[in-house]
Amino acid sequence: MDTSPAYYDCNVSFGANGAGVFRPCLSVEELLAEMDWVGVERALVYHALMREQSPVVGNRVLAESIAGQPRLAGTWAILPPQTGELPPAGEFFKAMARANIRALWAFPEEHRYILDRLTFGSFLDEVSERRIPLLLPREAGGPRPPDTWNLVYRLLGQYPQLTLILTGHGPWGEDRYFRPLLERYPRFYLEISRYELDCGLRELVATYGPERLLYGSGFPRFAMGGPRLMLAQAEIGAEAKRAIAGDNLRKLLAEVQLP
Amino acid sequence: MNPSAIAREFLETGRSASCPVVDMHAHYGHFMGIYMPNHDPQQMIATMERCGVELMVSSGHTALCDMVRGNAEMAEITARYPGRWYAYLVYNPNYPDLGRAELELYDARRTFVGLKLHPSFHQHPLTGEGYRPALEFAAARRLIVLSHTWGGSAYDSPAHLAQVAERYPEVTFLAGHSGYGQFEECMALARERANVYLELTAAYAVRGLIERMVEVAGAHKIVLGYDLPWFDPHYAIGCVVMAHISESARRAILRENALRLLEGRRRV
Repeated sequence: MDTSPAYYDCNVSFGANGAGVFRPCLSVEELLAEMDWVGVERALVYHALMREQSPVVGNRVLAESIAGQPRLAGTWAILPPQTGELPPAGEFFKAMARANIRALWAFPEEHRYILDRLTFGSFLDEVSERRIPLLLPREAGGPRPPDTWNLVYRLLGQYPQLTLILTGHGPWGEDRYFRPLLERYPRFYLEISRYELDCGLRELVATYGPERLLYGSGFPRFAMGGPRLMLAQAEIGAEAKRAIAGDNLRKLLAEVQLP
Repeated sequence: MNPSAIAREFLETGRSASCPVVDMHAHYGHFMGIYMPNHDPQQMIATMERCGVELMVSSGHTALCDMVRGNAEMAEITARYPGRWYAYLVYNPNYPDLGRAELELYDARRTFVGLKLHPSFHQHPLTGEGYRPALEFAAARRLIVLSHTWGGSAYDSPAHLAQVAERYPEVTFLAGHSGYGQFEECMALARERANVYLELTAAYAVRGLIERMVEVAGAHKIVLGYDLPWFDPHYAIGCVVMAHISESARRAILRENALRLLEGRRRV
């Protein structure tokens, strides 16, 4: 029986970026080729248009692009309900189910809204109850780390049951910011693409266990190879490695309840 | 799957017998903005073992703040690991008298292979008068100078590096972080100036950058670093071995270029 980790990357996008990147990933085919190159089995993906143009366009393009791709699972981005750009909650969740979308992204910095209860009210209550993971980029509150962490502290204070995944949380070590959240909120998760801290994974797993760490890369802005080798060789047990590599994400996605 | 034999070795064993790594940008000790669980000398050596790193060159975090205390500390620590751990002397232009005294100690500190300059941290431009004694000293001895470089910086942008690289052709400059954010300018500089090399700390994570560096500057102008004890060597190595470059380019970046630069400069 093969017990090696099956890598499931939770932080991947594809599609053209306005500002360009050194090595773009424009299509599903290119993405799958890179996953093969580094040895990644599956990915939870978003489309660049969801972030850079609008979820109104990007959510649809994402669903169309990954239809029939068994190695890719989809996400959609959210917008404040007040402007009515996306369908009302009931319809939105049904549409997610039809398109096999299992997680959401919020890009409050790019889409210019305040990610809090005043703006999202019962919508994020329902996201919490349905156990739909909400992914946040590290720049969600702006380029300065404390701004994003203040946002996360406030959001989880208002929605303590929200399944929140903070991605790409900065290579300069942000343990002093996120450890209080790991201790207080059982459904707060960290994606490890930029958790490059030497022996950081070993220390985190020893202190908190592997359950709330998720493998990711931040591709195509960042290379897949770094986190792939880092996790493969992390000084943690095989079970913890499998959990972080993919089992934790599979479990999270299996818990999602859609109409 | 990537057919690289070096990549396969690292994925399977964590190290490469055929390509032990040389790290040209390391530190030592605690630093203000980061929790580092792996900061003492024995832990850092253990990380080297785990990751197949043959030797590294460090500047002490203490030295970035207090060069007198920190350079002495680094000399003492590296002396415990001859042939394995080398050091850069940190020069802070804000304390010229102390800096002059530190330079005078350089020759006696046998594990030192060059200077470390951090214009952004010391808030003094690389082109400023304050660095002249250090750069003249480095030129006279044909030393390696690892300078922090960062795109858009008022102190150490690629444009600053271009000026001093032209002024001091005897010095071998490593552009720490490859001018992060102004990569194209830094790559062009490394291509044009024989005495400028690209150093990968933090930059390695940017997808496609290593491939672009090889294309623009050549694999022979790139060296590896990862700010140990900040960053896991495997992260940096993973970016190199999984890059879409040739096996010989991987070997040059991980090892051969650094050894070539250290040739004749290692006194231990």
